[in-house]
Formats: sequence, C-alpha cells, structure tokens
Amino acid sequence: MIKIEDLSVAFGETEAVRHVNLDLVEGEILGVVGESGSGKSVTALTLMGLAADTARVTTGRILFDGVTLREAGSPCDKRLYRSYQGARMSMVFQEPMTSLNPTQRAGRQVEETLRLHTGLAAAERKEKVLEAFRAVGLREPEKVYASYPHQLSGGMRQRVMIAMAVILEPELIVADEPTTALDVTIQNQIIELLRKINETQKNAMLFITHDLNLARRLCHRVAVMKDGRVVEQGPVEEIFRNPKEEYTRRLIEAVPSRMERRKDIREVFQEPVKGDFRNTKEEYTKRKVAVSGAEERTSQESAQSAAPVLEVRNLSVYYQDGNVSFLSGDRKNWQGERLSLRERLSGTKKEWVVSGADFEIYPGESLGLVGESGCGKTSLSKAILGMNCHIQGEIRHHSIRPQMIFQDPYSSLNPTKTIGWLLQEPLRAAGALDKSRAMTKGDMVAAAYDMLRKVGLEESYFSRRPSQLSGGQRQRVSIGQALITSPGFLVADEPVSALDVTIQAQIMELLQRLQQEMRLAYLFISHDINVVYRMCDRIMVMKEGRIIEIGETEEIFEHPREDYTKLLLRES
Amino acid sequence: MGRTFREMERTPREEGGSWKDRIPWNKYFLAGLVMTGLALALGILGLFWTPYSTTAMSASEKFDPPSLLHIFGTDNFGRDIFSRVMKGLGTTIGISGLVVLFSGSAGILLGALTGYFGGLADEIVMRVTDAVNGFPSILLTLVIISLLGSGRQNVIISLGIVFVPSYVRIVRSEYLKLRDADYIRRARLLGVKDVRILFVHILPNIFSVFWVSVMIGFNNAILAESGMSYLGIGVQPPEASLGNMLSDAQGYLQAAPWYALSVGLSIVWVVLGFSLFSEGIRRGKCE
Repeated sequence: MIKIEDLSVAFGETEAVRHVNLDLVEGEILGVVGESGSGKSVTALTLMGLAADTARVTTGRILFDGVTLREAGSPCDKRLYRSYQGARMSMVFQEPMTSLNPTQRAGRQVEETLRLHTGLAAAERKEKVLEAFRAVGLREPEKVYASYPHQLSGGMRQRVMIAMAVILEPELIVADEPTTALDVTIQNQIIELLRKINETQKNAMLFITHDLNLARRLCHRVAVMKDGRVVEQGPVEEIFRNPKEEYTRRLIEAVPSRMERRKDIREVFQEPVKGDFRNTKEEYTKRKVAVSGAEERTSQESAQSAAPVLEVRNLSVYYQDGNVSFLSGDRKNWQGERLSLRERLSGTKKEWVVSGADFEIYPGESLGLVGESGCGKTSLSKAILGMNCHIQGEIRHHSIRPQMIFQDPYSSLNPTKTIGWLLQEPLRAAGALDKSRAMTKGDMVAAAYDMLRKVGLEESYFSRRPSQLSGGQRQRVSIGQALITSPGFLVADEPVSALDVTIQAQIMELLQRLQQEMRLAYLFISHDINVVYRMCDRIMVMKEGRIIEIGETEEIFEHPREDYTKLLLRES
Repeated sequence: MGRTFREMERTPREEGGSWKDRIPWNKYFLAGLVMTGLALALGILGLFWTPYSTTAMSASEKFDPPSLLHIFGTDNFGRDIFSRVMKGLGTTIGISGLVVLFSGSAGILLGALTGYFGGLADEIVMRVTDAVNGFPSILLTLVIISLLGSGRQNVIISLGIVFVPSYVRIVRSEYLKLRDADYIRRARLLGVKDVRILFVHILPNIFSVFWVSVMIGFNNAILAESGMSYLGIGVQPPEASLGNMLSDAQGYLQAAPWYALSVGLSIVWVVLGFSLFSEGIRRGKCE
C-alpha cells in the first residue's frame, strides 16, 4: 500500500536519508529502528509531507496506494498532501507535552480533525470524539474532553494524541517514538493500545523507535537504519535470531539485558574508608565524628565492611502547597489531619511527597532507586543533596559535597562556557570555600585535562562549547564535572535514559569503571529496571513516597516480596 | 531522531570560533551598520568640529535653502542646520547611550537579585516597577524633571529611572527561568557562591535576550529624548539637540520646510539604522 522507492532526502549538502526502500501492506506494523541521526524520523516526516521546506528529495519517490505523493526533484505538493493527511494518514508524535496545543481543550483539538474532514454536525462530532476516547482507554472521556492538556498526565495526553490519529480510521499511522517520553508501565499500555488499534482497524503502521525491544514486541517486520541507509530489513524474530549486520548485532547487544550482571564491586574493596578530608573545618569535624561513630556501629554489623557514606533516617520530604485559602478550614492535609491555623494563615500547606525513608549507602556501592515518575524519587534525591530544605528526619553525609549527574545532558551544562572552564569551576568553587583546597591555575588546567582523559574525551574538547558536543559526550563532561572534586558519593538521576542505546552502554561502562577507580558510591535513580539491574548492588523500590522494598539486586529480581515490585519487573 | 530535533532546537547557532566568524553578515546588519556608523561618526565628529559654528548667527543667511555651502540649509537665525544636526546627533546619541547604560545596569542588578532570590525584596521591587509602569512614561519624566529641573543631566536621570522597570522585568524573568536550570543547580551543589552564580554563571546566558531589549531601549531613549527636548523639558537651547531643533523648525514649516525635514529625517535615520542593526544581529548568520 505504501511504497518508498529509493528515497534520498538532503538538507543542503548533507544527506539525511540515502536510497531507502520500504514498503508496507495493509494491517502490517513496520518498525524502523535506529539511533538519533539515522534518518528514521526524516523518512517518516517526508512520507507524511511534514518535513521542513529545506528538505529536498533528491532521488526516488513515495507511493500511496499507487498515487505518487512525492517525487525526486519536485517540491512537496501541499494540496495533494492535505487531502491525505488526517483522513488517510496520520501521525503520533514523541512529545505528548508539545504536540497538543496548550490553549485548547483536548476534546476540541480532536474534534478539529473531524471538522476538517467530515461533514458531521457538532453533536455527532462530540459523540464520535468521546467514542474515540473510550476506544483508546481513557476512563472518563467527558472529563478529558473538557480538560486542557496540562491537566492530563503524559500517558493520557499520548492517548488523546492517538485518539486524534485514529479517529478517522486512516490507512496509515506513523508513530514517531510514541512511548519514549513515558514511564515503563504506561509505555506498555500504549504499545498494547497500538496493537489493538492495528488489529481492529487493520491499518498499516510505521513505528519509529530507537528501542529494539519495543519494536520486537509490537512490529511484524523491522528495518534497521544507520546513517540514512536501511542496513537490514526483515521479519522481527528473524532479525533478532540471526542479525546479518554487525550494526544490528551491536544494537541488540546494547540493550541492557539481565544476562550480563555486573561484578560485585564491594568484593573488590574490603578495606575501610580512608576519606578525602580536604574540606572546610566544620565539615571536617562533622565528618570525622560521623565516621568514627559509624565505625563503632559497623563493627557490630559485621555484614557491612565499611562505614556508610550516607545515612538517611526516617526522612520525610514535603512541598509547600500555596493554594490554601484561609477559609478552607475543613480541608484535610495529606495525613488526614485538619489544617493548622498556621497553615491557613500562611496560605500554604505541606504536601508530603516522601515519607519515612530509611537507608544507607556504603562506599563503592551502587544503590538503585526505582519507581514510576511522581513516586518521589527525584524529591528524595534533592533532599539528600540539600536542594530541598522542607524535610523532617535525618540525613547524614560522610562524604564531601556529594554531586549529581542529571538526566538531560542538554540542560546540565552551561551553554556559554567552554568544557575546560566547566571542568575547572568545581575546583575554583572548592578553593573559594576553603583556602586550603585552593589550586593554582596551572594545576586546575592540568586536573581538567586529566579528567577529560578519564571520562574518555580527547584533549581537543577542552576549548569547545557544549553545543558542539553530542548527548553522550555532554554526559561525559557532566560526569567529569561531578567527579573532579572527588566527592565520593554521587546521585545519578536517570543518567542514561536520554541517550541512545549504544551510548547508554558506553556511559554505564564509564560509570562502572570510574566507580572502581575512584571508589564511588552511587545512588542510581532509574525507571529502567534493566539498567538498574546492570548497574546496582542493591535496589530500593519506591511507590507513592514510600520505600516499599529494599534488598540485594539478585534477591529483588528473583524473589520480589511486593506485588508492585513484581509488576515493575514484569512490565520491563 | 526526536533527540536530534531537540538538539537542533537548542543549538540555534554554532558557538565558538573567533568573534570574526560570528558577525552576522546579512543585509539588515549591513544596512544598519552603515546607517548607524554614519550617524555615530557624524555625532562624534560634531563634538569636536563642525563645518560652521553652531551658535554663530547671521542675519543675511536667514532661511537659506540647501546648497553646497549649507547642505541642509540655514535656520531662522542663519545658523548652519547641518552643523547643528551633527551637534544634536552627538547630544542625542550620547544621552541615549548613558540612559541605556544607567537603566540597563540597574535593571541587571535588580532583576538578577529579585529573580534569583525571590522573596520579600522581589515582591517589593516588582510592585514598585508596577507602580512606575502604571504612569504614562512621559508624565513620569515630567514629574521628575519638574522636581529636578531641566537640563542634560536631569534628562538622563529621569529617562533612566523610567526605563529601569522594563529591564528589571526581562532580566528577572530570565533569572527566574535559569535559576532552576540543571547547570545552575549543579553550580549550587558545587558550592559556587551566589554572586558568582548570578554574574558568571547566569549572566552570559541572558545576554542574547538582554541585548535585544538594550537595542529597543536605545531606540526608545532616542525618541524619548527628542520628545522631551521637543516639549522643551529636555536639552535647553542654545544647545543643539534633535528634539529642540524640531520644535524650532515647526514654526517655519512654510518658510523653511528643509529645516523640519532634515532634522526629522536625521531622527528617522538613526532609529531606523539602529533597528536594522539589531534586527540583523537577532537574525544571526542564517539569513
């Protein structure tokens, strides 16, 4: 039904897509798999007639049901496309946040499609939208209809997007990474939904993803793309069982699998901590006291070989909710207590997001923290790092200035600075806080070069700026920045989830290598169970602000006690 | 490839390279550069040398139309208009520059502090700027001038005060946005001192936004200064300023249309040139 013949697309001089041949028959789901920059999205956008005007088709053509939609040399025929878009082909985008208009109610936006392509009356249109909402599994269609996008969760928004895409029962649906921005459990529901739609509506589906595992679960056939070319194409199981191309094999291997469990690093380090005491005086004494106290304790707990770098005792974290009116005296707070006079006077109440967290982290250890988004993972980590002071309970650090690796490598580096400057800044800051740690300029530059090498970047990166680096390279710089003051303890908040699979594997390797070299303790936050399995010694499962299970990785994976843990494990 | 899109979004232009590579050679920039450059050169030159004295009157040369001797003609006192325009350009551009410098730095300071720290000080400063914004700006300058008296220095002060709120708002909103950026969070985690975060870590990131408002502010300052001098509350005669010259010229629209025309077009020239210049910078290299 869809035929893409020898398609090449170029932006100026650079070719993004090179001689791609794809075809799709009715009722078939074709997965297009590749890393960022492989040309998979450009192919899809060109097929949909949505590619930027600067994109030129240099060879080949696109056929839809025998009609030529686009041909080499001729510009995009907007008129022709308009008669196809929406009615006969539609698209689901990656970002459910940005693909819906924030100023319009969800129902209206879906209705828009009907208004453009059908002659239905207003009441019929609404009925049809509600029907579509029900079909995509939105439980309260009336409520969703009247909601603005920001009032809906990510999963709900994506369902609205899908409803919009399928409401006219198009013959072709292009889904561009529809689940990448979503949680694992939601991801699965969306995949199921797409499968169900495909079965009932019998439309052809082009599923674009960087995740081979997802493609395996949904698609009938897959095409693997690299550098704008299709390197391999075939039935999905066949590709998985005997990949012909080296690249495909690498992609399959890069997906973190439970088979490759990491070596237990704690076995490597059995001797007690010798901390780095270069720090301010107060912190020094605090730490010293804490360490000696901890040593006494651990001598009794023979199971652990060293004093913890972090102890968290009965920690609760709350936010000030500013929307309390003075008159709302009958409102109850999170714990079911009546609002106090003080809360009513100040117009704020406490919204508890983490309650009763109790754990410790030992040197050289990775503690995984898993749970769905909104379960309090990030709030907990922020509290630990002192970025949120609304806490109750106790946090005791026995490391100096613990650092953090952020999820998004595109926003965690100051875009106006050079890499060298960024790597030296932690040293400058440490020097400014404590004169005894001050270093000469030359030493700092040397340390920065040293760190560049350590995180696997060439020296030439020293004078570059973040915008000239890829996501993986940025994450390396980010890690270097966190480690250059040798903090001993790091919080890694989804450090690989924004990266391509092969890059993910490299970054995880780097983190593990550095952990061994520098004897780091990690608090590793992730929603990806497989990543956690590969990285962590112990795992902590969080649900609705509470830590419901904590234990050795193997233990959790083989004998999960809680139903929720089982669910998480099954979903991934 | 979603991620690469994001990458494209977030890196509108390649940074790095020497400043020479970063000059946006587009037609807006070029036209603006030529026009502003000429005005600026004439203005600066006018401070030291003019073809004729700007105050010397000559009854015999009253209302001479433009000629090779007096290319903009002469005014009601027989003074050379071109010389006076040169002098006026210098006055106007100088005053506007100082106004922008004053209000811009005050705006950065107040905006940075309020945006980054928030709290009570933020509340107070914002309400004050609201109050200032509530008055029509010309009324407010009138009030300040009537308190301080007219004259070059007081024009700068009053316009500076009136212009501060717009900068505070822009700078504050940028700081508010960036204060929660991951890289600023990291800087805090590293223990970087607040002052350093404010002016070393954040400030360079708001320059692109700030620069645009400085450009607009400069143009507004030129118009405002001309307006004030036109109304007689700005630079006082016999000192030449584009505004008070325009006010003089108004009386002789019939007798000497070139007077009003040459002065008015000079103002248009400066403002248009500067607009084009800033537009060229804003568009950057891609066009």
